[in-house]
Amino acid sequence: MRIPGALYAARGRKPQNEKDVPFQEILPLRLKNTVSGKADSGSDVACLQEMGVLFACLKDNEFVEKYCHKEISQFQKCYKFYMDRKFEAKQTVNQGIVQPGNNLNYKQLNKYMRRFPNPQ
Amino acid sequence: MSMYPSHFAEPSLKKETNRSSASHIPVKAATNDLSDSIFYGELKNKLIKYITKKGNKSLARELLTETFETIKRTQIERLILAGTEKENIIIDSEQLLKNAIENARPLLQLSAIKRGGVKYQVPVPVTEKKSYFLAMKWLLDAAREKDRKVHLPEKLAWEILDAACGQGRVIKKKNDLHRQCESNRAYAHYRWS
Repeated sequence: MRIPGALYAARGRKPQNEKDVPFQEILPLRLKNTVSGKADSGSDVACLQEMGVLFACLKDNEFVEKYCHKEISQFQKCYKFYMDRKFEAKQTVNQGIVQPGNNLNYKQLNKYMRRFPNPQ
Repeated sequence: MSMYPSHFAEPSLKKETNRSSASHIPVKAATNDLSDSIFYGELKNKLIKYITKKGNKSLARELLTETFETIKRTQIERLILAGTEKENIIIDSEQLLKNAIENARPLLQLSAIKRGGVKYQVPVPVTEKKSYFLAMKWLLDAAREKDRKVHLPEKLAWEILDAACGQGRVIKKKNDLHRQCESNRAYAHYRWS
């Protein structure tokens, strides 16, 4: 005869013997001394609004560019500004000057952490 | 990637430079296609490089010269045939090339981006350099798509003349690209790379 499982539930299940399952350290239990720079690259979406305005103008004028001079120049200016900013940001990252503060990029963080590594 | 350290200055074509004030700045060696001749043109140089096949640059240079000659001949013919509006016809073939390339430059480009297993054609703004490249590439592609018996300079001349006055296949190609970008504008926020 099968005994319904609910009868055992009050006592609960016997815990496993810890010696049967020795702990394995698959990954080291401490943080690495580096951070990856993936998050600093940021999103590449820029000038969406300008693009929308440009599309609206182009559609109204049947894709003849000479009627949309203002929109085109604004769009190109925006993109150029964005690219320049990106380039400058990359330059500053590559310079890697470590200054005190809490707003550090990944290269600066890595430099810091190399100086004060986790104890082995 | 240049072999020069970053503090080296670009070579200048101008004869009177204020080198005396910056004489301590080292200058990169000039490339062998730079020249201070009055026939030198940066755009022209670029186009010659794109025309070149298998490193035969002298042939490319010849082809471009021939193209300019054809353009000039047709324009002079038009000038003679034109009755009243003689001012509107440009004969300077380099100016025409410049106009053609300016007219053919795209503003946007489609780049395929994979999201959730589906490839989306996402409109992306192009840099100035890339837009010049695409314009010249389209001009050349249109010129190379021809009968075997037609000489390249002839076809290229026609394409340049067409593009310079805002007609022809190259301009149509650019407008088609813009149209496609417009119809895919909903994906514009997908881009990340």
